[in-house]
Amino acid sequence: MATKKLTRIGLSQDLCDRLSRHQVVTCQDFLCLSPLELMKVTGQSYQGVSELLYVVSRACAPQMQTAYEMKLEKSGGPSSAFLATTLISLDEALHGGVACGSLTEITGPSGCGKTQFCMMMSVLATLPTGMGGLEGAVIYIDTESAFSAERLIRIAEFRFPSFFNTEEKLLSMSSKIHLYKELTCNEVLKRIESLEEEIISNRVKLLIIDSVASVVRKEFDTQLQGNMRERSNFLAREASLLKYLAEEFSIIVGGSVDCTRPRNSRVWVPMRPHILLICVTLSLNSNCLPLTALLPWN
Amino acid sequence: MGTSRFPPSIWGGDRKRSAEPLSQLLLRLMSLRGRGLWFRRPERIPDAWAGSGSPTSPSPRAVELLFAAMQRHLGSYPLSPGVRVKLVSAGFQTAEELLELKPSELSREVGISKEEALETLQIIKRECPVDLSRFASVSISGKKYTALELLEQEHTQGFIITFCSALDNIMGGGIPLTKTTEICGAPGVGKTQLCMQLAVDVQIPECFGGVAGEAIFLDTEGSFMVDRVADLATACVQHLHLIAGSHLEEEHQKALENFSLESILSHIYYFRCHNYTELLAQVHLLPDFLLEHSKVQLIIVDGIAFPFRHDFDDLSLRTRLLNGLAQQLISMANNHKLAVIWTNQMTTKIDKNQSMLVPALGESWGHAATIRLILHWDQKQSRLATLHKSPSQKEATVLFDITAQGFRDVVVPSPLSPPVEPSGNPRKRSRDGREEE
Repeated sequence: MATKKLTRIGLSQDLCDRLSRHQVVTCQDFLCLSPLELMKVTGQSYQGVSELLYVVSRACAPQMQTAYEMKLEKSGGPSSAFLATTLISLDEALHGGVACGSLTEITGPSGCGKTQFCMMMSVLATLPTGMGGLEGAVIYIDTESAFSAERLIRIAEFRFPSFFNTEEKLLSMSSKIHLYKELTCNEVLKRIESLEEEIISNRVKLLIIDSVASVVRKEFDTQLQGNMRERSNFLAREASLLKYLAEEFSIIVGGSVDCTRPRNSRVWVPMRPHILLICVTLSLNSNCLPLTALLPWN
Repeated sequence: MGTSRFPPSIWGGDRKRSAEPLSQLLLRLMSLRGRGLWFRRPERIPDAWAGSGSPTSPSPRAVELLFAAMQRHLGSYPLSPGVRVKLVSAGFQTAEELLELKPSELSREVGISKEEALETLQIIKRECPVDLSRFASVSISGKKYTALELLEQEHTQGFIITFCSALDNIMGGGIPLTKTTEICGAPGVGKTQLCMQLAVDVQIPECFGGVAGEAIFLDTEGSFMVDRVADLATACVQHLHLIAGSHLEEEHQKALENFSLESILSHIYYFRCHNYTELLAQVHLLPDFLLEHSKVQLIIVDGIAFPFRHDFDDLSLRTRLLNGLAQQLISMANNHKLAVIWTNQMTTKIDKNQSMLVPALGESWGHAATIRLILHWDQKQSRLATLHKSPSQKEATVLFDITAQGFRDVVVPSPLSPPVEPSGNPRKRSRDGREEE
């Protein structure tokens, strides 16, 4: 816990007061100072400062797990590890479906079906586990105003006619999908930061951001000098927040990203491929829209 | 007080000089001695030396070193600033003057508490041993080696193989121990795969050519997948069983008894660091962890760039923290004889309207790692590994592949070649039989 306050980790009160006079309040501030600065600020010798560093590090270091323990944990709950996309060959390629606890990126050129894919995943997430769903709520952050509730209902009706046979079921399904329209980068970031409470109270199992790239493209013009760095700062922050949410709550997080085609190339490249983990690319090259999954090991 | 202080003119400077390096001090001592000035007074001679019958006669050099240590200025000791200010204002300049006092006398004279006085004297005594016999055999800087000793060490030094023999060859055998290696590459090219493969390969028993160690995995990006590591481990165990099958010696079979999926996974120690503070804190705590788990031979930091690339408005702070991190990792690599690997991202550098991919974190970070490996794609979408920086091997590029079994060589199919016998060296993989799985 980087923002853990020093007062809570057992340091003496006057030491904490002394440190706060120099604006050192959290563990993060403490660890950013060099040993010489720490000696000056705390008035202790090098030995004392080393011990303090040890105590502070102990307070905010992560817990150790062996890989074996992680495996046992995972095999304890296999059913909730994946959300099958019901596209059989894609599920095979992904070894089960879209993984829980990690970030998945869905990219493709405009018009190829990313938003439709996201809407279908939302429907699947609300289904009961017996039918392959996660039986949870969905948070849908829409930045392009491309979400159509009518279309969502149509998908559900035609895809699972036996299950959604009453209007009541359709309405209850749509009430589980929480839609947020955010149109600027800052708003998107603020919304993601405030999602924890919603995730816990509504038992959210899927978080979709459609689309990640459009807000960035609107606000950051890469031709201008300083914008590259700001843009990658923003994206990195967003990615780390999303990853934290995905891991902490074991939910699926999907972000859709537009593709551009650089000049002289036949290959569609996701707009900013640096950061995300698994990339499911939709390509427009043939009639039946093959989905190529770029897994880490294929 | 009974102590005589040397007039400043002998030292050739004014009193407020900061601590000068020992070598310079010695040179000056030698030159002064040549002039016939020898200012060691009898009452200052330690007992062990003043004819008490000690069997070892100290060498003149040891005596000089001791003398120089005694004359070391107080400012160079790691005392707390408040105490140091009080000592200087009370007129103390060198360590020697302090050591003659008892803690209670010191506290009374300087105006500090008795505990502080005791702590100060302990710090000084620790750094400036009065016992001469310690100097006779040990040099002041205990970590001095000759190049011959280093050569012997390097010959026996182990490497961690990557299972891609082309890559192992250009690196001189694999990832070397006691050195830091950086792996850079675009996303999806295989950096985390290589790290996971190495976390399994470090545990290969010695009779198969491995180092039989354990691994620490510091994950900042969350890309560690246990199921994948389990696949890699299973493939490795099968591979070793195949090799052991062709050997008739007992030790191979016995070593394999302990080498199972369960034991491999239990010896990978995983830490998930969500931001740079947790990473810094964990690296501070690693030396103690290494003392408890002395068989660790590999530390992997997957994604050293990720937590430092956002949220940092102050770039000089970032550089300082990164350098501190690199130094701690390098010193751990040296002291505990283990290999340290970290992965770095690539960033776009725009240079005269041409953009190219370069490793992230700036130019100065390039100096942190001893060996730099860059993984990239080529036109035909096959994966290449380039050894970009190495002190002992020349730059080279090889092809590699990532299969369901893990990090491997690229297999060039040749249906006409006869089946190759598995060779005695377990590092050389047999061409057929394995790939058909």
